[in-house]
Amino acid sequence: MTDVRLAARPRALSTGTVSGLWRRIAAARWSYLYVLPMLVLLLAFVIYPIIASLGYTFYRWDGIGEPGDFVGLANFSRVMTDGIFWGALRNTFFYVLLVVPIQLVLALALALVLNNRRLRLRTFYRTLFFLPVVTSAAVVGVVVQLLFSNFGDVVNDVLMSLGLTHEYIDWLGDPNFAMIIIIGVGIWHTLGYNLVYFLAGLQTIPDELYEAARLDGAGAFACFRHITVPLLRSVGVVIVLLSVIGSFQVFDLVQVLTNGGPYFATEVVNSYIYHLAFGGFSGSSVDRDVGLASAASFFYGLLLIVFAVVQALFLRALVRRRGGRA
Amino acid sequence: MTRRAPVMTHVFLLVGGVAWLYPFLWTLGSSLKSTDEFFGRGLDPLPGTPLWSNYAQAWQGASFGQYFLNTLTITVATVLITLLVTAMAGYTLARTEFPGKGLVLVAVAATVFLPHGYTIIPIFDIMDGLGLLNSLWSIIIVQSAGGIVFGTFLFMGYFRAIDRALEDAARVDGANFHQVFWRIMLPLAGPMLATVGLFTAISAWNSFFIPLVFTLARPELRTLGVGMYAFIGENSTDWTLLCAGSVITLAPIIAIFLVLQRFFVNGLAGAVKQ
Repeated sequence: MTDVRLAARPRALSTGTVSGLWRRIAAARWSYLYVLPMLVLLLAFVIYPIIASLGYTFYRWDGIGEPGDFVGLANFSRVMTDGIFWGALRNTFFYVLLVVPIQLVLALALALVLNNRRLRLRTFYRTLFFLPVVTSAAVVGVVVQLLFSNFGDVVNDVLMSLGLTHEYIDWLGDPNFAMIIIIGVGIWHTLGYNLVYFLAGLQTIPDELYEAARLDGAGAFACFRHITVPLLRSVGVVIVLLSVIGSFQVFDLVQVLTNGGPYFATEVVNSYIYHLAFGGFSGSSVDRDVGLASAASFFYGLLLIVFAVVQALFLRALVRRRGGRA
Repeated sequence: MTRRAPVMTHVFLLVGGVAWLYPFLWTLGSSLKSTDEFFGRGLDPLPGTPLWSNYAQAWQGASFGQYFLNTLTITVATVLITLLVTAMAGYTLARTEFPGKGLVLVAVAATVFLPHGYTIIPIFDIMDGLGLLNSLWSIIIVQSAGGIVFGTFLFMGYFRAIDRALEDAARVDGANFHQVFWRIMLPLAGPMLATVGLFTAISAWNSFFIPLVFTLARPELRTLGVGMYAFIGENSTDWTLLCAGSVITLAPIIAIFLVLQRFFVNGLAGAVKQ
């Protein structure tokens, strides 16, 4: 509609800018109508709730009725001194620090195998490994829980016969193993995203480069080290960022598999916030506190933004330095 | 990388792939086992004699039929609303100029960077105010709102890349704003409609947190995911029914994905290449 704006401009100059603006608005009335539904949803259900939840952080409120007990910034200082929050933050970092690198290495290895254009059935294989991505984390959690609670002893028998353990492990009831299981399922569930991302990145590398390198006598590893790695770097940065951001949001798996238990051993920040706001902490009776939940959520949101910016700067610097050397 | 793959590669990929999908295969097999078989056969995914009545029981006795209908309604409505709202907004923001457009773009982009507090409580209050708490509409609207930024960005990028000459030619022929959008531009956006539609469908079908919160007091509005979660809490011993419920939840979305996967995979691949 640039034509409309250009046509309106000369008249706007002669009759004053206010009526000119009105004319431009009237001329673009259908544009407003088409953007309006999106804008209403955005304002009412995305932007307003962000602002409103900031308001809750100043109250001690159990979520019933109107918030009335104004406490200023006390909720933020309570979050800072809450051992359960820091424990949940530590568990979340533990989850991210294990899921991201393991998942990325596995996905890249698989992508390198599937990127071979002469490999038959490569789309079929990609679909096999991608499939868990489209399934619900809640249902995956139910199935895994079913497997471990009924047949965890089969694994115990194997481990014992191998002499790896001398006592039966109560998989999801054991603080250490419960977290390991959540991490393992987390890796399995979303690996497909990274597989597809890496395949997309690999396909941007021209085949001629590999052919030329091979003519010069470069082996498979040399090709990987000197062609694949440098050319995959910029896409790789995006993949790492997406993977980290996604992993920090872990909730469904934890809620269904362990509810944060046993004894907060698998409580992550998102399940901690949910339990604060809606009750149901595993094995304890902490009162609902929406103000505290909102404060924790804001603090976590800020932390993640700072973390994402630092990470993006760091990765970009890394790409630039290595890129300059190569 | 263009040498022919050795047989070992295929063996590795096939065995790995089957092992990768083992949890699904075991669930499928176990959904047809009797309770005796379930414990007797353990980790063996194959049932002895398939017991189809598990499905009838899950569908009716355990309310999975109701949950299925709820989930289907939510998914279809969310996809339609999201496609309509984001295609219209994406087209307008990509192809037209209007006072305040910059402000709208800033508002859309800002939501990506603002720290999100615990927004579910104010959203819950708005739904309460609108009197929608006791219907599936609350879940549908919240789900649709959740996907609009992503969808609007995708449609903006798509419409921006379409040749302007098409629109100009239509205008010369006397087409008005609506005709240009509905008759010319929207039909050209087929692949992007499929991509956004599939992303929205998968996220709506699998959504857990939003339906969990909005059905805490209304069991009859539960979706399949929430129903499964509640089922463990209430009837923790009916394992084979739970497996049948899992299959009812997983199968439809896997089937849709298999048919439309190239749109999904291309959409993901496009996201990292930009």
